[in-house]
Amino acid sequence: MRKMRKIGAVAAATAALVVLAGCSTAAPEDEGGQDITLWLMGGDTPDALRDYLKTEYADATGGTLTIEEQDWADALAKLTTALPDAENTPDVTEIGNTWSPTFTTVGAFTDITDLMPELGGDDLLPSFVEAGAVDGANYAVPYYFGSRYIFYRKDLWSAAGLPVPTTLEEFNTSAAALRTDGQSGFYIGGEDWRNGISWIFANGGELAVKNGDTWESSLSDPSTIAGLQQLQALYTSASLAPVNEADSTPWVNINDNEATGAPEAATIIAPGWARWSIGDLAPDPEDSTKTVATWNPDKFGVFVLPGVDGGVAPVFAGGSNIAISAASKNQEASKELLKIIFSEEYQTMLGENGLGPANLQYADALGDDEFATALIDSAADSKLTPAAPGWAAVEGSGLLEEFFGKVNGGGDIEALAAEYDEKITALLNG
Amino acid sequence: MHTMRRSRVPYLLLVPAVAILLLGMGYPLIWQIITSLQEYGLAQQFGQPAPFVGVDNYVTLAANPQLWLVVGKSLAFCVLTAAITMVIGVGLALLMTGVTKTARLILQIALLLAWAMPVVAAMTIWIWLFDRRRGVINYLLDMIPGVEMNRFDWLASPVTFLLVASIIVVWMSVPFVAFSVYAGLTQVSDEVLEAASLDGASGWQRFWGIVAPMIRPVLSIVLLLQLIWDLRVFTQIKMLQDAGSASGDYDLLGTYIYKLGTSSQDFGAASAVSILVLAITVALSWFYIRSLLREDAA
Repeated sequence: MRKMRKIGAVAAATAALVVLAGCSTAAPEDEGGQDITLWLMGGDTPDALRDYLKTEYADATGGTLTIEEQDWADALAKLTTALPDAENTPDVTEIGNTWSPTFTTVGAFTDITDLMPELGGDDLLPSFVEAGAVDGANYAVPYYFGSRYIFYRKDLWSAAGLPVPTTLEEFNTSAAALRTDGQSGFYIGGEDWRNGISWIFANGGELAVKNGDTWESSLSDPSTIAGLQQLQALYTSASLAPVNEADSTPWVNINDNEATGAPEAATIIAPGWARWSIGDLAPDPEDSTKTVATWNPDKFGVFVLPGVDGGVAPVFAGGSNIAISAASKNQEASKELLKIIFSEEYQTMLGENGLGPANLQYADALGDDEFATALIDSAADSKLTPAAPGWAAVEGSGLLEEFFGKVNGGGDIEALAAEYDEKITALLNG
Repeated sequence: MHTMRRSRVPYLLLVPAVAILLLGMGYPLIWQIITSLQEYGLAQQFGQPAPFVGVDNYVTLAANPQLWLVVGKSLAFCVLTAAITMVIGVGLALLMTGVTKTARLILQIALLLAWAMPVVAAMTIWIWLFDRRRGVINYLLDMIPGVEMNRFDWLASPVTFLLVASIIVVWMSVPFVAFSVYAGLTQVSDEVLEAASLDGASGWQRFWGIVAPMIRPVLSIVLLLQLIWDLRVFTQIKMLQDAGSASGDYDLLGTYIYKLGTSSQDFGAASAVSILVLAITVALSWFYIRSLLREDAA
């Protein structure tokens, strides 16, 4: 009896497995090779632009363009697993500009050197083009840029009698002065290295340098240490953000809190497109569960993070590249999509939506308001992360978040720098 | 007299299941063992040949104190979480045998709903509950006089982070334990229990002296499954990391392997850690398999 029951159970399990196996069917074949998939990262590309791409692509090729949005947090893992696989790869993908060197070096993307003149050639943002090129051949090209600048509460700054700062030192002091128990003078998460590196860059430091043929992490460099000390002091004296917060949505803190009627931060640093989320909040007339923000120039303002001796501090050059997957079966159709993206019309649309267009000839589309001025000024001196082959692995490992979190948590900077230099150097060279 | 006639039918019936297991699990396992002996990075992922490096990946890992820290944390997490799950699960199962039919039905439906809830949906709600700014948990705790929990960040320290993770995992696994144990309890005959209580055994004595030994096979398999599941826990930790911090202090084995492999693109080392997890799982299961073999031999 006992044995019989066991055999019965095994038979039932077998049947279940057979049924389950029957469920997985092969993906349908492409029809005519014209239906392609584009991966976009995060929600930065507005819906109007996505619709434009779909319509234009259908008109140009008769095929369907499917846009799949990937979350930035998991994008690296998804790209790593999907790109080599011809069955599952996106045909065209947006990719973080700092990851371009890594993926380009291993041959993930199609060589599009021939196509460059049609895409804009020398008018394309040079630092991004360089990040996506190997040995003079182009693989990944710029999609948009959007360096970060400061959004501040005009009302709070002027009530405290503080002018727009002209040096980094003055910025740090003013931010500390604006901190209260319920309000950050300057809201920055402890692990937020993408914004934190501005203080390193401003002091002449680097995250990594190339010695001969090998890359070495340079957190222990005296200039880097100086920047980290400033950042630690600023975080401790001015920010109430959690020490374990990395990339966040800081604009929710600068708007008036619905419950208290007061903001939780007098100052934030954010990419230019954050402007659409900042302002006086009112219920959305089309959807009562949401609110819309209307920019109020009396209450809010922007300025560029000042440098150590005045001028402009080099900030992280945010933005993306775009490339065709080498494993894609639809190479020609993918090139058609690139031509649409680099058309005058689409580049202009990018600019009008506050995204720095890849083709600098159309940078005028950004307009000449305070946002455009701040974007262009900050972009002029912005810097990319090291173009080391293993850089994407460094970002993926979370070591930078860990390091900045420990520094801002009050750790011993020199000891931490030595510890993480060793860990990061091990990954840098791929 | 029943003669032991060896029939081939049972073995033939086993063939499909074994074949599917070998195909479905053997292939990835073999691939994993091979990869763990190779230098396998992003370049190999994109088609470069992968050089064999012997046990280099294992040697490097063995010398890495962070790995042992993660192993220690994962074991502590899985033992504690599984133990709490068992206690609550068995408690609910006993409750089900003791209450009226209506109450039992309500309890069972509630447990079933919790069990059927997709992990991602449940996690989203849990993360909202524990939210630093607007979470219900902080709001309620803050209302207790003398407790200052406004803006308390549960995900900011590894200890409270793992506490939250443990609460969520317990919530998700209790229904399975409760139902399995309840099914076992229905097989315990009322006559035996009645006789015991006539002899003066208290409720506590009846449970430990009669019920627990009788449902021991159920308890041990459920505990083993809980230990294995809680050791391999991934989604819950990953989603909490997305809401809080993804830095190394918050890793358990699942997220550690994920980070090492898909994010840092060192598939060789990630495979080596996976093999280690397999070894731990086998070690955990060993006592159970041994007792199963003994029972069969008897």
